[in-house]
Amino acid sequence: MTRTTQITILVVLFALLALFYQGLWGDPRHIPPVLVDTPAPVFKGPNVESGELLSSERYKGKVIVVNFWASWCQECKVEHENLLRLYDEFKDHPEFVMLGINYQDEIPKARAYLQRYGSSFPHMQDVKGALAIDFGVYGVPETFVIDKQGIIRHKWIGPIVDNVYTNLTKNVLTPLLQRADTQVRPYDSTT
Amino acid sequence: MFRLFPILIVLCFVSPIAGMAKVVDETEIDQQVREIAKTLRCTVCQTENIWESGAPLAHQMRDAIRERVMQGQSAEEIRTYFFSRYGDYIMMEPPKQGINWLIWLAPFLLLFGGGALLWREVKGWVTRTPAPQPPPTLDAASRRRIEQELHQNK
Repeated sequence: MTRTTQITILVVLFALLALFYQGLWGDPRHIPPVLVDTPAPVFKGPNVESGELLSSERYKGKVIVVNFWASWCQECKVEHENLLRLYDEFKDHPEFVMLGINYQDEIPKARAYLQRYGSSFPHMQDVKGALAIDFGVYGVPETFVIDKQGIIRHKWIGPIVDNVYTNLTKNVLTPLLQRADTQVRPYDSTT
Repeated sequence: MFRLFPILIVLCFVSPIAGMAKVVDETEIDQQVREIAKTLRCTVCQTENIWESGAPLAHQMRDAIRERVMQGQSAEEIRTYFFSRYGDYIMMEPPKQGINWLIWLAPFLLLFGGGALLWREVKGWVTRTPAPQPPPTLDAASRRRIEQELHQNK
């Protein structure tokens, strides 16, 4: 076997090992974010607590934090306090909006959950989970940040805790709210 | 009362036909849903398609497919919709484009590459191995000594 052949085999083997390493030890939460940098889906539905109709139309030109949650989801309870903290931190900004999407839940249970753990921002019903598919949701909790132009700029799978909270507020939300966007583009109505 | 008999008789024949027509329609929709769902991966399962999976997400995806089939969307349109939401990962068969070609071609490349390498190595072994030599002939003294030893051992 020549030296060139030996080197080629070694290179191929190392490439395969690198792929295995990435697959085995990579972050399982990292799924290619298909919808990031694309227009957010149009959404419309009743408020969990009041029944009032909520829609993406109402939030045009604002930075929106969309959080998918359910009363049966344990990790949602873990992050709930941080969501309330997040809302408190940015609620005075005129271009900030936060919206919870209650995913595949029973409304009385969702209302009881909000009464127990607290509710400071609106929550929309997605009983059949159709909106969750429009957003490419894998499970709950999942959080999206939509910019003033209606483009999804950030997606996080899992609870908003510790460094995730810091990253979301400092590196995602603050720059988006500081950015002066005047042109408002329509949401994705193809869904 | 007797005037109603013809209407009743007609109804007896028409109702089951109408019912059957509905059943046929349902079956066709079911079939379309199944065909599409079998080509889409359940995103929260291990190598299971949406049709076979019992996960709640797969169930709601089947409902979404059914709704779109009933709206008259084609299988390709529905697959494109799911692809736009979840990317390549949702397709049971990765689309033959870009880096995905590696998945389709790598097994054949490895097979042929490995086969060529093996053939080359075996050929090298054959070439390097010396031809078998005839055993050295015994001289008369050695033959005599062996015969003596054999005779003594008897």
